[in-house]
Amino acid sequence: MPGIPSNRSLAKRLRAVVLFALAGLLLMIWVFPLIWAVLVSLKSESEVMAYPPSVIFEVTLQNYRDALFGGVSILPSMVTSLIVSTATTFLTILIAVPAAYAFARLQLRGKKWLGFYTLATQMVPPVGLVIPYFLILNRIGWLDTYQGMVTVYLTFSLPFAIWLLVSYMEDIPREMEEAAFLDKASRFQTLWHVILPQVRGGIAVTVIFVFLNAWNEFLFAVQLGGNTVRPVTVAMYNFVSVEQTLWAKLSAAALVAMVPMIILGIAAQRQIVKGLTVGAVKGGGRQ
Amino acid sequence: MVDRRDQGIIKRRRLTGSEQKFALLLVAPGLSVLLLTTTFPLVYLIWSSFQNINLAMPFLDGFAGLDNYRAMLTDSRFWHSMQLTAIYTVSSVFLQLAIGLGLALLVMQIPSGQWLFRIVAILPIVLAPVVVGLFWRTLMLAPEFGIVDFIVRALGFESVNWLGSPVPALVSVIIIHTWQWTPFAFLVLLASLAALPPDVYEAARIDKASAFRRFIHITLPLIRPAIVIVVIMRSMIALSAFAAIFAATGGGPGTASEILNLYAYKTSFVELNFGYGSALAVSLLMITLAVSSILFYLRTARRT
Repeated sequence: MPGIPSNRSLAKRLRAVVLFALAGLLLMIWVFPLIWAVLVSLKSESEVMAYPPSVIFEVTLQNYRDALFGGVSILPSMVTSLIVSTATTFLTILIAVPAAYAFARLQLRGKKWLGFYTLATQMVPPVGLVIPYFLILNRIGWLDTYQGMVTVYLTFSLPFAIWLLVSYMEDIPREMEEAAFLDKASRFQTLWHVILPQVRGGIAVTVIFVFLNAWNEFLFAVQLGGNTVRPVTVAMYNFVSVEQTLWAKLSAAALVAMVPMIILGIAAQRQIVKGLTVGAVKGGGRQ
Repeated sequence: MVDRRDQGIIKRRRLTGSEQKFALLLVAPGLSVLLLTTTFPLVYLIWSSFQNINLAMPFLDGFAGLDNYRAMLTDSRFWHSMQLTAIYTVSSVFLQLAIGLGLALLVMQIPSGQWLFRIVAILPIVLAPVVVGLFWRTLMLAPEFGIVDFIVRALGFESVNWLGSPVPALVSVIIIHTWQWTPFAFLVLLASLAALPPDVYEAARIDKASAFRRFIHITLPLIRPAIVIVVIMRSMIALSAFAAIFAATGGGPGTASEILNLYAYKTSFVELNFGYGSALAVSLLMITLAVSSILFYLRTARRT
């Protein structure tokens, strides 16, 4: 009978609602700290210290004004992060795309070992690099410089990018290359006109990941940067060290610093999940 | 379709050796950059682990032989940090996997609206770990004014100095890490569950297998590759977790949350003893290599 759901479908719908509520409740664990940070960022500092914590209060945008245009504005360090992350991403893609193509498709003696080497470099703990880099960059005068920071950032972005791109390149049907060969296209032309358009999606995912990791990096930034190159993560940390209790300003500044990443994350949510899972889902079939 | 004559052309082209040359040309920049930016500093690290390099006492600098490594054997702070590294890594990876898998199985049951969960799960992942550490240190876990402490007290318990006393501090940094990275396990496992062929379930349902048995005998073996990948990736990350702990506790109070990674860092950059710091970093490198080879070995061995 239309209109009146049978007992069975009602039970089914009820079960769905209960499950949704349960999962939603669990997910609150992940949303809540962020919502709380947003609320705190809209309070005055005295309101932040109210007990019990207030949920209804007079909203102020003063913290955001201070974070952006005040005495310790976060904007210069955001520009620094933008420069470092963009340069890192650009160089990484430039170097990783050809290497990934060779690893995925071309015959190369010792390819297996070279691939293994690339994978191994990705596993080096950052603290094992920050110590020698401090001594080396200090010696050549590259501490607190953009070229120093970008060089160091290549250590984690490049192996990652090569491996992510390899997994996308392996998906391109071989026939496309072979057709190009038959048309007497040069190898370089094949790469440029046939392969590259096919992996645009993969390159986009790689760009997002590399940019995100570079923007969020802290260990190298805090130790190898300084007054000239102070990425936004270091600025945040310094702010808390100096102004222990100015939580509203901290929240506002941190949210501003993270907004580009949050927008990127939500906009590219599908691609990011795909990038995260490329290894997991394909890993089943590949040795 | 490519006919036989064309195959011949392709094959000849592959064998001419021009492919080898072209491939070398393509990988050369990547490999030389990796050699220069990763391998060279690592060699430098190993070299400096055999040296006395102390910026506070530069007059003692020189070749130290195995002194740094010998010192580690009797250094109780080192053994303590090893212990904490094991606790931190094992418990946070286990929690991420267990909660992530549970949540993924739960969300799989929901007929619509899964996108909402995927969006929410992406949020912690895209945050900088240092910001996560700072948020938890202030808004969440600060005594008196932190929201967690407020809830604890509202429930009638005593106020806890989460980051200021030893055991709660260790628990806190594990919770913070688990909070940030469980969504990663959740998303990977959700994608892997969604990619499973539905017909195996149909067959099992016809056989009237219970939900639990279906999970153990069908789902679990099928998503094992994804689980293994999650464990490998998260273990590597947990072993060298830095920013969130550094921001939340700085390894403290005392050395209560100082995993090996932080100890190597502090020895080098706070105590300025780069020789000993290098040796500690080399030991972390060895542990990372050992753990990853064991995990990779298990991954390939168990499949056959």
